[in-house]
Amino acid sequence: MLEALLAIGGLGLVAGLGLAVASRVFYVYVDPKIVAVEEALPGANCGGCGYPGCSGAAGAIVRGAAEPNVCVAGGSSVHTAIAGLLGVEIKEREPEIARPGCTYGLDSADLKYEYDGFRGCGGAVLLDGGAKVCPVGCLGLGTCVRACPFGALSMGPDNLPVVDEELCTGCGTCERVCPKHIITLSSSTRRALREYTTDQCSAPCQRACPAGINVPEYIRCIGEGDYREAVRIIKETNPFPSVCGRICVHPCEYECRRNLVDQGVAINPLKRFASDRERLSGERVPAYRAPETGRRIAVIGGGAEGLTASYFLNRMGHESVVYEGSSRMGGLLRYGLPRNRLPSDVLDWDIEGVREAGVAFETGQRLGRDMTVGSLLEEGYDAVLVALGGWDTQMSQRTPGEVLKPLPGVYLLLDFLLAFREGKQRVLGKRVVILGGGSAALEAARIHIREDAREVHMVFRVPRSRAPFSEEVLEDAEEQGIQLHFETAVTRMMGRDDELTHLELTRLDALHDAPREILAADTFLTGSGRFPELVYVPQAGGGDVEIESRRGTVSWETLVPYAGPCATEATGVFRPGEANADYRAVVEAMGSGRRASATIQRYLSGESVEGPEHMIRANTRVLSLAELEPVSMAPREPVPVPPEEELRADPFLEVESTYDEDQARREAKRCLQCGLICYRRTEGPVH
Amino acid sequence: MSDFLLLFVSAAFVNNVVLVRYLGQCPFLGVSNRLDTAIGMSMAVVFVITLASAVTWNVQHYILNPYGLGYLQTIAFILVIATLVQLVEMFLQKSVPALYRALGIFLPLITTNCAVMGVAVLNIQNDYTFVETLVFAFASSIGYGVALVLMTGIRERLNTAPVLSNLTGTPAALITACMLALAFMGFAGMVQ
Repeated sequence: MLEALLAIGGLGLVAGLGLAVASRVFYVYVDPKIVAVEEALPGANCGGCGYPGCSGAAGAIVRGAAEPNVCVAGGSSVHTAIAGLLGVEIKEREPEIARPGCTYGLDSADLKYEYDGFRGCGGAVLLDGGAKVCPVGCLGLGTCVRACPFGALSMGPDNLPVVDEELCTGCGTCERVCPKHIITLSSSTRRALREYTTDQCSAPCQRACPAGINVPEYIRCIGEGDYREAVRIIKETNPFPSVCGRICVHPCEYECRRNLVDQGVAINPLKRFASDRERLSGERVPAYRAPETGRRIAVIGGGAEGLTASYFLNRMGHESVVYEGSSRMGGLLRYGLPRNRLPSDVLDWDIEGVREAGVAFETGQRLGRDMTVGSLLEEGYDAVLVALGGWDTQMSQRTPGEVLKPLPGVYLLLDFLLAFREGKQRVLGKRVVILGGGSAALEAARIHIREDAREVHMVFRVPRSRAPFSEEVLEDAEEQGIQLHFETAVTRMMGRDDELTHLELTRLDALHDAPREILAADTFLTGSGRFPELVYVPQAGGGDVEIESRRGTVSWETLVPYAGPCATEATGVFRPGEANADYRAVVEAMGSGRRASATIQRYLSGESVEGPEHMIRANTRVLSLAELEPVSMAPREPVPVPPEEELRADPFLEVESTYDEDQARREAKRCLQCGLICYRRTEGPVH
Repeated sequence: MSDFLLLFVSAAFVNNVVLVRYLGQCPFLGVSNRLDTAIGMSMAVVFVITLASAVTWNVQHYILNPYGLGYLQTIAFILVIATLVQLVEMFLQKSVPALYRALGIFLPLITTNCAVMGVAVLNIQNDYTFVETLVFAFASSIGYGVALVLMTGIRERLNTAPVLSNLTGTPAALITACMLALAFMGFAGMVQ
């Protein structure tokens, strides 16, 4: 008896003491906060935050590596609880919810075969990517619905997933399980930054739109009578619906599939209809703004491009300020367009919309005179976007004989030569790079060599055999000491304050990992007629070149915004076809303004500033249709015009009017609601 | 040597601890949903069973037997195993954090796993020497791991197969376990 007591008691005592000692010896400090935060998290271990499970997220939150609102599944109550535990404030985050990217179910899409195998998308995708002819079509087997940890997805009647926006937490599980990447997370910021890619469904009109408006969706809203939602959709990628609705060259309408049957849908008049209803109601459709980021961006140029860029930067939560040289905003929209096409009050309404959204306007401020890129960066702007547009508008505002120099170290070749010949301008610098410009470029190069410039470089985009000079002239130039670079583009500028110090040249003949060369240069002469849109950002230390920094100065470098779908070649500060977009139409300027803001956003979040992978460009092949199966004819609604005598009597009267509601609804119903290859196959008359 | 080999095969396959001896059913059904967790669990089981057998053998032969306290075997073993697992957990957390993270959540689960207790008791019942105990314990736990991983593989496939809705989940898993156990019966008689 005693032995038993002693043995077991002894064992227990030894074990207890052992554990007590071990707990001291092997003590590992676990922050009680981590435990508390982990308890506050939902415990679904969905991984939506990007950390391995809730405990991983708890550790990251307490370490400070993640925000208290990192949990996408928990919602604001969880965020507030965690913030309370940590004693910090949380920033409201923009709701992101799942959005299916396919609109035609298995019953209405073209099929390659009948699938009757294992009921899951993962199995169906193994058979030639699924039963649909469309490579980006939803397989309709509900893998995302079963995977959703929050029951926010269900299968609709047409075998497409339907998102319950109330229940969706934006955890992204559906996005991860979808083998075709069709259902994705979406938010207004994401949609504003998006470009159409070959990996997603897009209609011909959407791809044709330089601003990238989701055309079928807003026309569907108009057809259903939800005009304000239509305006909201347009404003996701274009802040000027009333302006665009009047003067857009509407490339979308030429691509409309109805052209294969009768006439394209009146896309632009419908945009005008929806935006005019908003304008006449006087009540703006509110646009979502991401929480304040504390970043400040200066935009130079108050034209369509600058205003668009500042609008989207503002919506991404940055503080954006537009500097405009003249006394009023609008640029060419105000000074270059006839009033009977674009009345001032319409323009003012759209511009006022940008201001009301929170963008600050500074008029009468000219770059190079009232402030410089360097002074703006020194003021603490995180980036300066230059959207000056053409030299022509600049020249109309300058004092005669003055050489324009709005950008540090960048001059117009012709401007310099004219001033030089008149004796009003000396040579510009010691290290000169000249791009393009033919004989004028050679003349400028010779002038600088003669005047003891240390280095003169001429840069050509073409190979030597296709240079605009004969071989003798080239050899002669080389003999004089001019350095020639063929098949090369200028891709980056670097400098300090208002001085240019370096240029980056990139070879164009290599497809990947093109060799880059950094050149010391203080002067850059260009034969181009337009300023490129450029983003100047403070140079981070440890870059390609250490620019010697002095006290009270700021070093910078340039980023080139990625080119939109209109561009075929995208390399270089000054690209072929002049700058980024050539502004045949205001909608192109708006598109590149939005892309410039996307570039800045990508830069600020530390991502690559290239355009998205698989972006559709001018020469990208996209699956489409050459003919339509019988779709009943329906003539296009004529756009109302004022009577001839009224037009004659008043030269400022608008030459076109707006649809009335009936007309708009009828016209909207003509839309075939196209997808990549799907469309509404109308049986019988449309109306 | 061949004795040990036979002992190993016998413990791992012929008398598989989970499918033939019917021990440790809870984690066998509970942790067999995903392969990576199943492998983590198997490793933890190998670790704990081997260690626990070594310690309990010593407790039996140097504490209980000399004083004729064999009837306290169950209580003593539970005490020892529970302490051991906690000790190991603390040790790993401090010294081998990587292994701790891999095995972490499984260790406390095993404290109350009857397979651990079962193997420890079998060692004594079969009158194994210390070395035989080690081999038997290691082999048994390997057998456990094999069964668990096989089960998980089948269940992962079963998840994507059309199963009668009434049977989805645990019922299907139990039927699977039954089939697997029948398959292991094929080893019977290979080694006594």
